[in-house]
Amino acid sequence: MNVRSAKFSVVDVETTGLNIFKDEIISVAIVPMHGTKILVGDSFHTYIKPEKFDLKSMRIHGISPNTLENAPTFDSIAKKLHEKIRDSIIVGHAVEIDYDFLKKSFKKSKISFNPKKIDIALLEKWLSDRLGDRCTDLSLDSLIKSYNLSSRFRHDALADAFLTAQIFQIQLLKLLKYGMTSVDRILSAIESTKMSRIDFIF
Amino acid sequence: MSVPPKEFIRKIKPFSFLNEAQLDTIVGELDVEMYEKGKTIVKKGKHSDYVYLVFSGTVGLYDDDTLVDTVSRGEFFGILSAISDNPFSLSAIAMDDTICYLIKKRAFKKVFEENPRFSSFFSSFINRRFRSFSNLLREAEGAIHEEIYLIKVKEIINKEPVVCSPDDSVIESARIMIDNNVGSIVVVNEKREPIGIITDHDLRKIFVKGLGSARVEEMMVSPVISVEEDMPVFEAYLMLLNKGLNHLVVTKNGKVTGVITSKDILTLFEPTSSLLSLYRSIRKSTSVDELKNHLEGIRKAVAELSIRGVHFYELSRMITSIYDSTVVRIIKMIEGKYDLPNFVWIHMGSSGRKEQIIATDQDNCIIHSGDSRTIVEFARDVNSALEKVGIPKCQANYMAENPKWNLTLEEWKNNFKKWFSSLTGENIRYLSVFLDLRPIYGDQELYLELIDFIKKNVNKQTIRFLALDATAIEPPIGLFGLKGVEKGLDIKKFGIYPIANGVRVLALDSGIIDITNTKERIEKLRDMGVLSEERASDLLESYEFLQELRLRHQSMSYSAGVKGDNIIHVEDIDRIDSYILKESFKIISSFQKYIRGKFRIESL
Repeated sequence: MNVRSAKFSVVDVETTGLNIFKDEIISVAIVPMHGTKILVGDSFHTYIKPEKFDLKSMRIHGISPNTLENAPTFDSIAKKLHEKIRDSIIVGHAVEIDYDFLKKSFKKSKISFNPKKIDIALLEKWLSDRLGDRCTDLSLDSLIKSYNLSSRFRHDALADAFLTAQIFQIQLLKLLKYGMTSVDRILSAIESTKMSRIDFIF
Repeated sequence: MSVPPKEFIRKIKPFSFLNEAQLDTIVGELDVEMYEKGKTIVKKGKHSDYVYLVFSGTVGLYDDDTLVDTVSRGEFFGILSAISDNPFSLSAIAMDDTICYLIKKRAFKKVFEENPRFSSFFSSFINRRFRSFSNLLREAEGAIHEEIYLIKVKEIINKEPVVCSPDDSVIESARIMIDNNVGSIVVVNEKREPIGIITDHDLRKIFVKGLGSARVEEMMVSPVISVEEDMPVFEAYLMLLNKGLNHLVVTKNGKVTGVITSKDILTLFEPTSSLLSLYRSIRKSTSVDELKNHLEGIRKAVAELSIRGVHFYELSRMITSIYDSTVVRIIKMIEGKYDLPNFVWIHMGSSGRKEQIIATDQDNCIIHSGDSRTIVEFARDVNSALEKVGIPKCQANYMAENPKWNLTLEEWKNNFKKWFSSLTGENIRYLSVFLDLRPIYGDQELYLELIDFIKKNVNKQTIRFLALDATAIEPPIGLFGLKGVEKGLDIKKFGIYPIANGVRVLALDSGIIDITNTKERIEKLRDMGVLSEERASDLLESYEFLQELRLRHQSMSYSAGVKGDNIIHVEDIDRIDSYILKESFKIISSFQKYIRGKFRIESL
């Protein structure tokens, strides 16, 4: 498939922690892209009420327990969420984790979730290997800085998803210039990078 | 939770005028698209669904193969075609890899119709109402709370006028004053025209003398000093000061509409009253040192006012009155020491045009009617004193102390005759200096006779050469917007002079050189039908804008303790200012074309 006609969903998932067996999703942000165009107007964000987690014992920066208490459960919006991202390629920064949490949660709601995914950090690594720009730090903050995007409005899921989309957009431009016009080639490039991700910094 | 584009857009004027809901409307349908270098974004003649805001990169606007304008981060294109529903009049092509925010046309139009400040921002820009445009901006920045120097006399009248007839008795008039709780009463004829005034102060004297039963007509102060209600308050105040009055009658078409007092005005000026008290001090100064201190204070106040957003025309008018009084003060201190012939002290250049600002130097000359030795000595004394108070000497030596410019009326006439007949570069330069003459002090007749002589003796060929000179320096547009100008842009050379010089040529051609102020010349030329309404208003707007930009620039330097210059660095100025700067240069360019055509320059 050509990059320009591909559909992407740039996601940012916030969780109670990094333990896929124990932790739960508390917010999902999605910024859709059609080809290289970011559809800001169609972006979406929701908080999610964790099922088992004791809200009172939980302290997460920037989100009040009250907000989560009144939020819908994942199960109750799983279908709607799936509608939004089906048939698209999931894009994110260190997207593996977001992806795994989504997959686990969808599975609980008996929805199968198997889209392709693109990690912009790995993509950056591949690009810098090819194009010679040295790149030591692949954290989202550093990428935002090196792409001249303002990080002043970060620290919420939607802002992170949007900034991720902007980085991905510029990466796509580089890829197109490099002659990489098909989604499959990009995906396999990332696979090859994954093999050697020793120096990858989360 | 809001997306970053909203925050980015919120900071860009005029989107800063929008409320949350309106911002949401804009962002709610926003797309972000990326264009590779060389890619055509919209083709000339095509419609687009979007208004474009450049996030990064550069977009060139082309008329076929000609680059007309460049648009970069934070700037827009496609607004006009969105508002008017017309196709693009230019092609938009990415000159670098470019990212644009795409605002849906219907969202833009919805907000445009909803928010009058937002829409007047764009329409004032499109219609080249730069002044109201920059007002909108500064207002938005909270820089001006009130444009104090723009306020007209009628706006501070707080009472219906209290009047009486000349046939009333003084006691009767005093009763009317008590009933109305006022300190003065205007005596009017049947047509309600003011013929006299009686104040509290006058009444006291009348009653002490036991003349209370006399008729008002016999006791009133007459004639009465009155001003038309559209006069700026600042000028009215100068009038009160100059005439030593406390009350000023305000009229509309000659009929009384109210009375204002110096107290009314001072209350109004409270925040900036330092300037006025300094002005008062200058008028009272008896020594050069004293003047120097006051003038320094004035410069500070002016720099502050300009940064706070008071406009060029108001400020230059104030500075001109202040400098004029300073010069008059000094001449009066010195003239007694010499036995002088009849003379008139004249200002040329920006002072002659009443357009001087902070960093101004002396440009003066003398027309006299007699022996030149003592008057040159006198002039030297005045020039040195002016230098001492902080008005530097003219480097090109256009000063009255220079015997070359301290001449009898006949000698001046001969100069002009020579300049008009031999159009060398030097003579053209002299003409561009000495065609903005303004008498400051002395015998006006000498000046008037010279002006009359100039009007009668100027010939078409001279005017054509002056026109050629006025159009020789073209504004730096057409290549890469303004960004090609790397070392900074001399806005005096490229912006202010081309307008002032071009307008002077037209004024000379139309016989109105005794009007020296560029704004007044343009208005007169418009009223005479020489300039079209549209061109006149374009010129007025851009001239003021350029002067203001320069004044603000000099004020900033002044406040920072640096010597001001005329070099504007494009990257230092506000994005909106650079928009208008570009537009102003386009106006100048078109004006120069018009002058060249009118005076058939190409055939010289």
